[in-house]
Amino acid sequence: MRKFLAVVGREWRAYFFSPLAYVILAAFLVMNGMIFAAIVAFLNTPGAPKGQALPFLFTNTYFWIFNLFVVPIITMRLFAEERKTGTLETLLTSPVSETTVVLGKFAAALGFFLTLWSPTLSYVLILRSQTPIDLGPVAAGYLAIALIGAYFLSIGTFASILTKNQIVAAILAFAMLIPVFSAGLLESLSNEPGKRDTLGYFNLWDHMEEFSRGVVDTRRIVYYLSATAFFLFMTTVMLSAKKETP
Amino acid sequence: MIEVANLTKRFPTEVAVSDVSFSVQQGEIVGFLGPNGAGKTTAMRVLTGFLPPTTGTARIAGYDVVTRSLEARASLGYLPETAALYSEMRVHEYLAYRARLEGVGGAEVKRRVGEAIESCLLAEVAHRKVENLSKGFRQRTALAGALVHRPPVLILDEPTVGLDPMQIIKIREMIRSLGRERAVLLSTHILPEVDAVCDRVLIIDRGRIVAEGTAAELRSRLAGSPIVRASFAGRVDAREPLGSLPGVIAISEESADDETRVRLECATDADPREEIFRTAVARGWTLRELAREKLSLEDVFIRLTRHEDVRPESESLPPSEGIAE
Repeated sequence: MRKFLAVVGREWRAYFFSPLAYVILAAFLVMNGMIFAAIVAFLNTPGAPKGQALPFLFTNTYFWIFNLFVVPIITMRLFAEERKTGTLETLLTSPVSETTVVLGKFAAALGFFLTLWSPTLSYVLILRSQTPIDLGPVAAGYLAIALIGAYFLSIGTFASILTKNQIVAAILAFAMLIPVFSAGLLESLSNEPGKRDTLGYFNLWDHMEEFSRGVVDTRRIVYYLSATAFFLFMTTVMLSAKKETP
Repeated sequence: MIEVANLTKRFPTEVAVSDVSFSVQQGEIVGFLGPNGAGKTTAMRVLTGFLPPTTGTARIAGYDVVTRSLEARASLGYLPETAALYSEMRVHEYLAYRARLEGVGGAEVKRRVGEAIESCLLAEVAHRKVENLSKGFRQRTALAGALVHRPPVLILDEPTVGLDPMQIIKIREMIRSLGRERAVLLSTHILPEVDAVCDRVLIIDRGRIVAEGTAAELRSRLAGSPIVRASFAGRVDAREPLGSLPGVIAISEESADDETRVRLECATDADPREEIFRTAVARGWTLRELAREKLSLEDVFIRLTRHEDVRPESESLPPSEGIAE
C-alpha cells in the first residue's frame, strides 16, 4: 500500500508540474461554464420544466467531445514518458509489482479526471439555492462520469504503454476511444431487435442519459468495470512483456 | 551476494550474454569490463530483474531474480546507465520517493534520505530541482537513490560516465567506501577505473567472460613474452651477438644511418638487459636506450577483446574508441 501510494503521489505531482494540467483545467471550466450558462438561461425561460435542466450537464455533445479529447491527453504520459526518459527501468527494478505500478498510475489519472469535474459540484449547489433539485439523478450522473471516465482512462493507460512517444500514445488512445464510443450509436441504424440490444449494451450516449435521469442499471456498471479491468490487465501484461524488449 | 550460473540472454537477432558464471561476495567490488556492446548492460539488467534470462540462473542475496523477483529487487540498489531521474522533482523529494517505493515509511524516510544525501555529498543541492542540476550531481542523485534503502548489493552501470575528473574521483571514493560492507558490481569501459576501484575484474567480450582475476593477476597471466628494446648510435650489426644471448627468443633489427634499434622477445622471467649492456661495452657500441616493456591493463584488455596481437605500451597506441579515459 505504501508503494502504491508512492506511485500515485509521484504521478499526481507530475500532473501539476506540467502546464498541460492547467490548460486542461481552464478549458474544462470554460466549457462547463458555458453549459452552466445555457442551463441557467433555460431555467429562466418561462414555463421551463425545472427538474429537467441539470441532466443537461452530462448529456450534451460537448461532454463527449471533451472526454474523447481530454482522456488521451491525461493518460498519454503515464508510461510513454517513463519509457522515453528511462525512469521506467528504475521503477521496474524497485521491489514494486507491475500491477501496483499500473494501478498507481491509473489511480492518479482517475484522480486528476475527477478533480477536473469537482468544480461542477458548485453548479449543483448554486442551482439548488435557487430552484428545487432532485439529488438522486445528479448523484447517478456523477457516478456515471466516474465509471465512464475510468473506462476511458484505462484505454488511455493501455495506449500509453504501447509507445515511447506521448503524442503517438494520445493518438492511439483517441483511435481506440472513437470505436468504443461510436459502436453503440450504430444502434439507431439497425432494425433487427437482437442487434439493437447488443449495440445498445455499448451505447454510452444512451447510458449517460439513463444515468442522468437517475436510472442506475447494474448491467452498465458491470460493463464499465469489466472493461476497465480488462484494459488495466492488458496494460500489466504489456508492461511485463516490455521487460523482454526494453 | 551475487551468484550467476550459466546465464544466457538471447535476443531475437543476437546472443547478448552467453553462458556467463561468476559471483560477488560481500565486501567486494567487482569490475565488469568490456568494450561497448559487449553485454555488460544486458547482464546487469538480467541481474536487476529488468530482463528475464533465457537460460541459467542469477541470485541476489540468495533470491532468484526470476522466481523471487521482488525479494531480489528489494536487496539491490541499481544505478542504470541512463541514471534517469524525474526532472520536475527536487533532490530530497526524489530520494523520499525512492525510499517509499522500497517500502520505507514514516519518520524512517526522512532519516534515510538524510543519510543518502550525506553519503553522496548532496547537501548543497538537496532542495534544487533535478532538471537544474549538473550531470555530476544528477549522477550522484541517482546513486543516492540506489542507496537510500541500504541494499546489501549494489549494481552500478557505468557510474562515472560523463563526469569531470574531480567528480570521477569523488564518485570512486564513494564507491570504495560503499564497497566495504556491500557487494558491488560496477561496469565500465574505463580501464584506470578498474585499477582505482575494483578488487577483481571480469572482462566480458561478445557476451562471454574472457578473463577474470585481480588487475595484477590479469597482467601477469596475459603479459606473454617480455620485450626488451635497445638502441645504439650509428649503424651496428647487433642481430648476431644479441640474438644469441641467453633467454632471447627472437630479435628484430631496424637500422638507419645514425641509429640501430633492436627489439628482443625474451623467455618469461628472462631479463637480458645487463648482458646487452656488457655486450655493447665489449664491442664498443654506444648505448642510447635500453628498456623492458610491461603490458598495461589496457594492453591486456585489447589483447582479450580485439583478438589480435597486442602491441607493447611504449609504442604509441592509436587512441582507440571507448578505451582511453
